[in-house]
Amino acid sequence: MTGTTTSQPLLSVEDFSLNFSGMEKANLIDGISFSVLPGQTLCLVGESGCGKSVTSLALMGLLASPPARVKCGRALFNGRDLFTLSERQRADLRGNEIAMIFQEPMTSLNPSLTVGHQIVEGIRRHNAVSSEDARARALEMLELVRIPAPEKRFDAYPHQMSGGMRQRAMIAMALANSPKLLIADEPTTALDVTIQAQILALVSRLQRETGTAMILITHDLSVVAEVADRVAVMYAGRIVETGSVEEIFSDPQHPYTLGLFGSVPSLGRRTGALATIEGSVPPLEKMPAGCRFATRCPFADQRCHREAPPRYEPTPGHQVTCWYAPLEDHVRAA
Amino acid sequence: MLKLIARRILVAIPTLIILSMIIFGLQRMLPGDPIQTMMAEESDPQVIAFLREKYRLDDPVPVQYLAWVGNVLQGDFGRSLRTGLPVAEMILQKLPITVQLATMAMIMAMLIGIPAGILAAVRKNTVLDYIANAVALSGMSIPNFWLGIILIMVLAVSWKLLPASGYVPITQDFWLSVRTMLMPAFVLSTAVAAYLMRHTRSAMLGVLSSDYIRTARAKGLLSKTVILKHALGNALMPIVTLSTLLFGDLLAGAVLTEQIFVIPGFGKLIVDAVFTRDYAVVQGVVLFTAIGFIAMNILADVLYIVVNPRLRHPQ
Ligand SMILES: Nc1ncnc2c1ncn2[C@@H]1O[C@H](COP(=O)(O)OP(=O)(O)OP(=O)(O)O)[C@@H](O)[C@H]1O
Ligand SMILES: [Mg+2]
Repeated sequence: MTGTTTSQPLLSVEDFSLNFSGMEKANLIDGISFSVLPGQTLCLVGESGCGKSVTSLALMGLLASPPARVKCGRALFNGRDLFTLSERQRADLRGNEIAMIFQEPMTSLNPSLTVGHQIVEGIRRHNAVSSEDARARALEMLELVRIPAPEKRFDAYPHQMSGGMRQRAMIAMALANSPKLLIADEPTTALDVTIQAQILALVSRLQRETGTAMILITHDLSVVAEVADRVAVMYAGRIVETGSVEEIFSDPQHPYTLGLFGSVPSLGRRTGALATIEGSVPPLEKMPAGCRFATRCPFADQRCHREAPPRYEPTPGHQVTCWYAPLEDHVRAA
Repeated sequence: MLKLIARRILVAIPTLIILSMIIFGLQRMLPGDPIQTMMAEESDPQVIAFLREKYRLDDPVPVQYLAWVGNVLQGDFGRSLRTGLPVAEMILQKLPITVQLATMAMIMAMLIGIPAGILAAVRKNTVLDYIANAVALSGMSIPNFWLGIILIMVLAVSWKLLPASGYVPITQDFWLSVRTMLMPAFVLSTAVAAYLMRHTRSAMLGVLSSDYIRTARAKGLLSKTVILKHALGNALMPIVTLSTLLFGDLLAGAVLTEQIFVIPGFGKLIVDAVFTRDYAVVQGVVLFTAIGFIAMNILADVLYIVVNPRLRHPQ
């Protein structure tokens, strides 16, 4: 899994900042960087509202602009900067080389078109194929995502299918053109608990079989442990820590990562309860100038509030943005 | 589907009964005496008595009502007090004229209102949107008679582009008939066009922010496909229903426009009848309009199901 680090990243996001008009004080997404290698899975984790969906929508080019505005940074996909492409060029990539699955299967399909048509439409948009061939491909996809009686489901309207089936159809739609990158934004959150595991296993299996790289947004740490190659931890529009799944689980360096993953009992002594992070994310206009986590961090001092923390790299590929890294020194010192 | 239509018709029956009573009752409350109006000059009491007898004007009102309903059910709306012609015949003669006017107005309203609504929604909060809204507001508030007179003065009198008024049967000369009715149809369409524009705009805005539009865009579909197929396809569902109801409004609302442009349609029929207290004609026309209106309502319900897959294909 980590042996492939030598290959070129498929997607490389560098110092990306984004804002919505009307909130000019601080950036909603503030200088984030991460990369995804071909065929690998990056899990994007972080509290609700930290900007995971906004980031993925920006990468897809699905944010209306205005009000959204990319302030700086690049997103190199196969060497091309997504943010400098024309709208037409981006549309040519969407659903073709980069596909996305959303959180809400109940509302993500067009209620007035059949499921089959909606898959075929995506295939024919990017491939010059006859409608019969597109239909055959769509049926193949429906079979691949284990929708029973695909011939019958092909002509069904979304409302005639359950949430789980709709999400399978969404997956079929997303993978129909064999994308190089799949962005899955909490694809199972809206589903019944019993179905969540099935859908996740399905996505993960198909992703591995087809060699598609994936950015998976999830709140479920057991899912992260299971499917991630790399993890990026986001807090209030910044990536505070990124590393391989082993590094993040066994050697978390940022206090927020610690809190989020609720691990490392030795820390409990010094700080009280880090496992449940106290307080809430300050509103953007009250964001500290330094580290955005400072208002809730048990280690935070004056400097953390005032000055942006440096990037520390304990091992190559494992990066943490914190004044107190490496954390062990400070924990031991206490 | 047939069951639904049957049910809707059944539900409409009490409405019709109440309506017929109101029409009949109100008519009797109008000031003035129809015979007096008829006999403007002459006033031989014997003739008057004979006529009152003939038109059963001295029977108790409920008896008059039942007699009237009984006849109507047999397609007999009575005879005009003024011309002596059967009311049903007068109506059928005038109906195509008004239907043509209302249909042309509806087509114009849809051709103007729906694209304008789409444009305003897609270009929300831009100059285009503001202009569309301002035009719509004027479309709703400019009185038809004023607009009609201005158009006649400019297009017909000064520029001589279109006939100023009148009516040419569509069977006689299709293009001349359409040309003659262009101006009145436009005047009649303005309010409906404005209404359709606003509803299309808000329906489109609602749909455009929905998740499946995001999905459509995530597939890489081009804007025109997303807007015209995915968004409009769903936004039009309520618009279809609304348009059917508005068509009923147009049929009923053509009265004033017909007066301005001297079109011998339904509106003229009813205005003439009211001024001459021609009870039978007024009742017939109003009842006929009401039935047409209810029919449009039923059609609207049916169309709503036809265009909505969720209702067309239940789980
Ligand atoms: N169009 C918009 N205009 C202004 N602010 C927005 C807009 N869309 C999102 N935001 C804000 O951006 C922030 C990040 O939202 P986002 O949906 O990315 O969070 P998230 O990390 O995906 O959360 P969740 O885990 O709940 O899905 C939120 O505070 C939200 O209010
Ligand atoms: Mg989200």
